[in-house]
Amino acid sequence: MNIFRTILQGMLKKPADAANAGQSDMAYEPENVPGVKPTLVHTLYEFQDCMDLTHRAYPEIGVDVLYFGHLVDNHQLAQDVLNPILHIRADEVHMLLRQTQFWPAADSKELIEGILSGQVAIFNGADTYLVNVSGPKERQVSTSESETVITGPHDAFNEQAGACLSLIRKRVKSSHLKVIKLSVGEVTKTDVYILYIQDIANMLYVREAIRRITNIEIDAVHDSNMLIQYIDDNPMSIFPQFLTSERPDAIASKLAAGRVVGIVDGSPSVFSAPTSFFEFFSSSDDYYQRWMLGTATRLLRFLAFGITITFTALYVSVTTYHYEMIPENLLLTIAESRSKVPFPPVYEALLMETTIELLREAGARLPTKIGQTIGIVGGIVIGQAAVQAGLTSNILIIAVASSAIASFVIPSYVMSASIRLIRFGLILLAGLWGNFGLAIALAAIVIHMSGLTSLGSSYLTPVAPFKLEDWRDIFIRAPFGLLVKRPTQAAPPNKVKNKMRR
Amino acid sequence: MKTEEKLSPFHSVILIHMIQTGVALFSLPRVLAVQFGTNGWLAVFLFGAIVAIHIWLMSYVYRHSGGRSIFDILEQSIPKFVLSPVYIGLICVWAMLCCLVSKEYILIFKMVAFPTTNPMIFELVVNLLTLWLLGMGVYNIAKAATVFFWFVIWMVFLLTFFYGEFRWARLTPFVFQGGELKMKELYSIYAAFFGYELVLLLFPYANPQTKLMRAAMAGNGLTVAVYLYTCLIAFGFFSLQQLKEMLFPVLDLLAYIKLPFIERIENLLYGFFLFTILITAVMYVWSAKEVSRRMFPRIKGGVLGFIILTLAYLVSYIPDVLSEVLDWLQIFSVIEFWIAFGLPALVGLVLLVQRRRGQPSNG
Repeated sequence: MNIFRTILQGMLKKPADAANAGQSDMAYEPENVPGVKPTLVHTLYEFQDCMDLTHRAYPEIGVDVLYFGHLVDNHQLAQDVLNPILHIRADEVHMLLRQTQFWPAADSKELIEGILSGQVAIFNGADTYLVNVSGPKERQVSTSESETVITGPHDAFNEQAGACLSLIRKRVKSSHLKVIKLSVGEVTKTDVYILYIQDIANMLYVREAIRRITNIEIDAVHDSNMLIQYIDDNPMSIFPQFLTSERPDAIASKLAAGRVVGIVDGSPSVFSAPTSFFEFFSSSDDYYQRWMLGTATRLLRFLAFGITITFTALYVSVTTYHYEMIPENLLLTIAESRSKVPFPPVYEALLMETTIELLREAGARLPTKIGQTIGIVGGIVIGQAAVQAGLTSNILIIAVASSAIASFVIPSYVMSASIRLIRFGLILLAGLWGNFGLAIALAAIVIHMSGLTSLGSSYLTPVAPFKLEDWRDIFIRAPFGLLVKRPTQAAPPNKVKNKMRR
Repeated sequence: MKTEEKLSPFHSVILIHMIQTGVALFSLPRVLAVQFGTNGWLAVFLFGAIVAIHIWLMSYVYRHSGGRSIFDILEQSIPKFVLSPVYIGLICVWAMLCCLVSKEYILIFKMVAFPTTNPMIFELVVNLLTLWLLGMGVYNIAKAATVFFWFVIWMVFLLTFFYGEFRWARLTPFVFQGGELKMKELYSIYAAFFGYELVLLLFPYANPQTKLMRAAMAGNGLTVAVYLYTCLIAFGFFSLQQLKEMLFPVLDLLAYIKLPFIERIENLLYGFFLFTILITAVMYVWSAKEVSRRMFPRIKGGVLGFIILTLAYLVSYIPDVLSEVLDWLQIFSVIEFWIAFGLPALVGLVLLVQRRRGQPSNG
């Protein structure tokens, strides 16, 4: 493992070095070191060749205004900054700038970052002020495309961290909900917010999450699914070690359960930690339905997991090595459907699995209208024709299709993608060594998972370490009266969440 | 933040149970039928009781060890050069048990489903998995054991399938008639319960909350319950004569299960027993590694594990048919029996001497 890591680090290092080399060739080294008093000349110099910067000068009162027009809310800009400036005389400027919306900017770096994040810089002689009138263009809060529910709230996070925060604050109206702002990315300076509920979240996890995020040294982070790969415990693992969700209700429930939540500006996914493997199989829907339905759906998802992992592999294993496992009546059907197929089952299965993955990938990249065509081409042309041409057997199509459908039952797309990839390994091993291969593959998965941790807590909670009381909210969805305690994985200082007896 | 690396009571129970459970279960009803005759399943109680007494003796050692590893206790009073042969012996026996257990499993699998495959390839794969698991430390091994436990324990419920065919009449009112006891065979029955003795090495990985000895008792109880239930069903499903003839009665039992869409699932279910074998093998090689770390403290644990497993793998080339492996296993189970008895006795004795001399027992 260490060898891989060194190679990978080596690969990552090179482009960074190259970028540094390029930088040193430039004529001007930016000097926005903290503590340097900001000046108009220096600021304009920093933004040289940025033609989208607006510079308004009011020479009669000695005021200069700098801002990015597309980052500010025009109405607020007019009301808070431009109108007052237009209606005063030179001797009144001093009084005006004492109003509270004008923040004195002490150093150059702060000023530049302020302008970049949509604030307005006002220069008056030696004094500099910032006014926050930022109002960047954002997507409307709409429904989530990747995590839809039938009952329950339909709103989803959008790319603006502010909007995400407001959606969460609207649901968790508590002053104990704390928000810590961090910044990631030397170039992009992406804002990352860590949220937790004081006295419910375990501060060890909060500190650990913050420590890991501040340790990131990278030029750019574009999405929270990318960020979590910089901070997870085992970067080589196939499994996602933090849960991401676009649903504010899901995230609010994670917060209330004592987990730490992170928002990355520019990403509609919000992550929560620590996470266990089994958490990826829960959906908000489970809680909005009656408990029996919730339980049944959850069990169905675990069944789907089993089917996805083993169904095609079992077909391969049985038809390659263990024909005796097929009952007599079924044997005739299988023999008939396999009689025309010229390949060993493992090739047949890999062919069909690859086709399904191709269809899925093509469908995901194409606009919806063409996506439908792909469905027809895939379903009828390839499915039907492949059987008629004698390339695959009917039974295999059923096995492959049901395991593909089963994989989409898993609510988290990231997890379902990981599981679909593992399936190929199982098929190969089943084709190589039959049932022994299957057992080997399952053992390997379990061994790998036993070593995984999420923020240092076991990825297999509540199975190992064994926490029976958590099973009520992981494998089934017990009636709310029985969900008394918060999940043990988050190790919350305040364990009881339900004091009602009914 | 790291989770505490001490075993929890539940994990210890499962770990002990998983080390104990192994392929011996598949032939157990036959051996019992041959050795004890009618109602041979009752003998499981006897063996369980011997193990329980053994664990009870070990708990004396544990109580007075103060959580120190047994090697610390031994090395405090006995010079290392005297201990070295003991250590080497332990390493050899445990490494051999590790490779024989997996070889036995693989040869049976070969017999059932893969008559033409070279078993050493399977052995290599199992050893690689063992090495991987070994590298994760005992806490993660216990975690894996817990997951594997759920993969395996559900099979007990498959035995309800035989309730319809079960006849109390086959059990007969006679106890232990028509068997011929052989000392050698008794050891190999006892081998089905081996694994509990490794609890001696778990002392440093437990704290008072683990209740290690009670966990070992419970783990053994679980094993006895599973064995007893399986053997009872086998004795009530097959006749005594049938049992005596069958090589692996439990496999035949499982082969009898028919579902509408699948039948003869015994080799699939047998595949699941890989999990118990892995835990057994990994814990034996782990024990060998723990001992070898005493002898070569400068070499990293991972390297030692790799060396031990490689040597064990090479040795496992020698016995190449099942009966040879079983012969070897019999020899090693005799040795292991005396280790399981002698090691705690030795440590207990040393502790006694140390207490007499007033040396600190919880350093």
